[in-house]
Amino acid sequence: MSDGGAIWLPLYGLFYAAVTLYWARLAARANHNTETYFSAGHSLSPWIAVLVLAGAATSGWFLLGGATEISAHGFGLPALMEAGIALALPGVLFFKRVWFVAQRLRLSSQPELFRSYYQSDFLVVVSTAVAVLFAVGFAGLQLRALSRLLAALTGNAVSPLEVGVLLGLVLFGYVVIGGMRAVGYLGAVQTILLGAAIAGFAGAALIASGGFGALNAALKSLAVGDPGGLRFVVAGVIRFSAGLGRDGGQVPTATGVANLSLAMAFMGFQASPLALKVVMSTRSANAFGAGQTWVTAGVFGGLIAFGVAAVGAAGLANPDLAVPGLLASLGAKSPWFMAWLLIGLVAGVQVMAGLALLTAGEALVRNVYKVYFHTALSRAETVNVTRIVIGLLTLASVLMQSLTPVTLSALGALALPLSFQLWTPLLGITWLRWITRPAAATGVGFGIAGVLLTEPLGYQVLSFLGLELPWGRWPWTIHSAAWGMAANLTAVLLISAITNRRAFGEEAQEVQRFLQETLRVGSRARALRSTAWSAVLAWLFMAVGPGLLFGNVAFGRLTAHGGSWRVGMPSIWAWALLFWALGVALIWFLAYTMEMASPYRHEIPPYTPRPRLRADQAAQERERLRLLVISGTVAFALIVLTTLSFGG
Amino acid sequence: MNAPPKTDRGILVFAIWAVLGFLGLGFMLEGMALNSYLVALVGVALILASFVAHIIVNAVFDQGFTPGETALGIGAFGVLAIVFISGWLVGGLSMPDFYAGLTLFGALSVGFLAYLMTRYGLRGAFSHFHRKSASLEDPK
Repeated sequence: MSDGGAIWLPLYGLFYAAVTLYWARLAARANHNTETYFSAGHSLSPWIAVLVLAGAATSGWFLLGGATEISAHGFGLPALMEAGIALALPGVLFFKRVWFVAQRLRLSSQPELFRSYYQSDFLVVVSTAVAVLFAVGFAGLQLRALSRLLAALTGNAVSPLEVGVLLGLVLFGYVVIGGMRAVGYLGAVQTILLGAAIAGFAGAALIASGGFGALNAALKSLAVGDPGGLRFVVAGVIRFSAGLGRDGGQVPTATGVANLSLAMAFMGFQASPLALKVVMSTRSANAFGAGQTWVTAGVFGGLIAFGVAAVGAAGLANPDLAVPGLLASLGAKSPWFMAWLLIGLVAGVQVMAGLALLTAGEALVRNVYKVYFHTALSRAETVNVTRIVIGLLTLASVLMQSLTPVTLSALGALALPLSFQLWTPLLGITWLRWITRPAAATGVGFGIAGVLLTEPLGYQVLSFLGLELPWGRWPWTIHSAAWGMAANLTAVLLISAITNRRAFGEEAQEVQRFLQETLRVGSRARALRSTAWSAVLAWLFMAVGPGLLFGNVAFGRLTAHGGSWRVGMPSIWAWALLFWALGVALIWFLAYTMEMASPYRHEIPPYTPRPRLRADQAAQERERLRLLVISGTVAFALIVLTTLSFGG
Repeated sequence: MNAPPKTDRGILVFAIWAVLGFLGLGFMLEGMALNSYLVALVGVALILASFVAHIIVNAVFDQGFTPGETALGIGAFGVLAIVFISGWLVGGLSMPDFYAGLTLFGALSVGFLAYLMTRYGLRGAFSHFHRKSASLEDPK
């Protein structure tokens, strides 16, 4: 790093840390006491919630992972570029209805929602586990990439572990001090910084490549000189391969169904406990339509479709201009810009990581520990225990980044596909009342099995136990999110068909009645229902599905045998940009014309359940805690013994 | 409980300066490093845009600059002015650097005065700074 970089990066870093602590302090003062720590008193401004949702959904992943994927393998996964739409789609589908339910039942998290509606302990635990996976795995992976990048940019003057500890301390500091309010306030600033950083990265990549024309000229020569010709096309609809790690690396993985299933994984984020935490902490649902349409799909979708793709393309044309190289060259010439872009990237990672830590901490303590093991815990004690748990989760994440990166990677890879499995119980609550409690729980169970069996963690654990699966990661080039959903949906359909659809608890019946009465759509929306279905399916098919094959050639074809790109850029990139624009129109249509996320003018009175007598649970709770400690100790001993006996 | 508008305003102000302000600073420094008045001018324009955006946010939330912001703004202006004058005195500034600095300080000064006059009126803007101490006031 240049001398200038040695000054500017720490300077900007200090400024960023000071800003986070300033807002944490403001948030703590606004909280007054521990009552509003978890949900900011359900008073976050709608525009803040919209920004936090967009920022957390985008996070630093697209710059750190998405651009790197394009730089390494080309444009074979246009679903990456359509991610803005894939992220906004579930937001339009769920947010307004979930917010209505949460207001009616006075809920503040996804596990509470599942407990109230389905009375399912299993779904509560799954939702908690997903939050923990996001906090430790998914956020940990991004923080690890960021730590390594920062350490490299300082010429390894500081180690990745030291950078990780520093980033973890800042994160821990503001989440613990200010709770959800700090995550919201700071998240809005972080999201805007992230958006600016993506645009800045794209600008820097284009300038370093000599402009948009020069970049495409370099891509053209790459296409002409590429005998395989797979960098700028989607390689067929499907390949019946055994999956990554089992097919010898010879089978092209960027197929139409690979894209579709990757888009499904992206759709998992907005069904995650993280996104719903923000939704339920908001004081009004009136901005969800505008937020999903213009902020997530429009602005961030556009930044991903063009900006992230441009950064990736620059790295593809010249590997020295991939994200690390780009930052290094910027650091040598203009360290102030390098520092500013990096702070934007840090902000992008932390907006998601902070939200994930708070959600996971709350779920573990408030929705699991307190409910099953210690109901007498006061609010102040709950908040304090949550703070300790957040500290432990941060520590675990920081340690895993350095000590067990492979396990971290395996855990991080599970977050999105497992979160996508929560679509079925959410659909049951918001739209499909025929999904019964056993169907939702069993479906999610099957979905988890489907995901685990097609992800490294699952088949490595089985392999360790002596069961070698004949397939690897993502067999048939289908992402684990889709494998899980196939199993999930099959189970949900079958079990819903054979179980009693009226066997819902009091709260669930109230939710069904309430949603039916208050969110009845107008005649125009009802008449357009089939049009909406057709539009969504058509968009999915053409933009992220097998229809991408048309995109290979729609704007010209350039191979080693000749041809041209008619719009001066790879046909598949132009196709992605076209369908991003159409996707924004689709999201707008669903949100407003179909009234799925349109503004409302209802007062929502709280539902008061019938008073119930609660027996003293202290003895059972002590017994449960004892069993938990014993089974935890036994499990730990068994793992250690097995590892010592058979090797790691 | 609704979030106070003061907080929403604060978030917007931070976001504006974190993005436009720092980008402007970057372009200013880049212009000075490249000895390019044009690049530095982009920086000046961005810093002015931050200032204007800040004023727009103030108007939307029907608030003025907070005492902290005023102190920070005047302090930063003063420090930068001292750095600029020192640089000029020791001869460390090239002509493009000199023009860039002059443009920034000129534009900020004119902008600040224009803001005061449009917000408080010509007389009010003066009174905003010039306050008689109680001992000097006529005893009536």
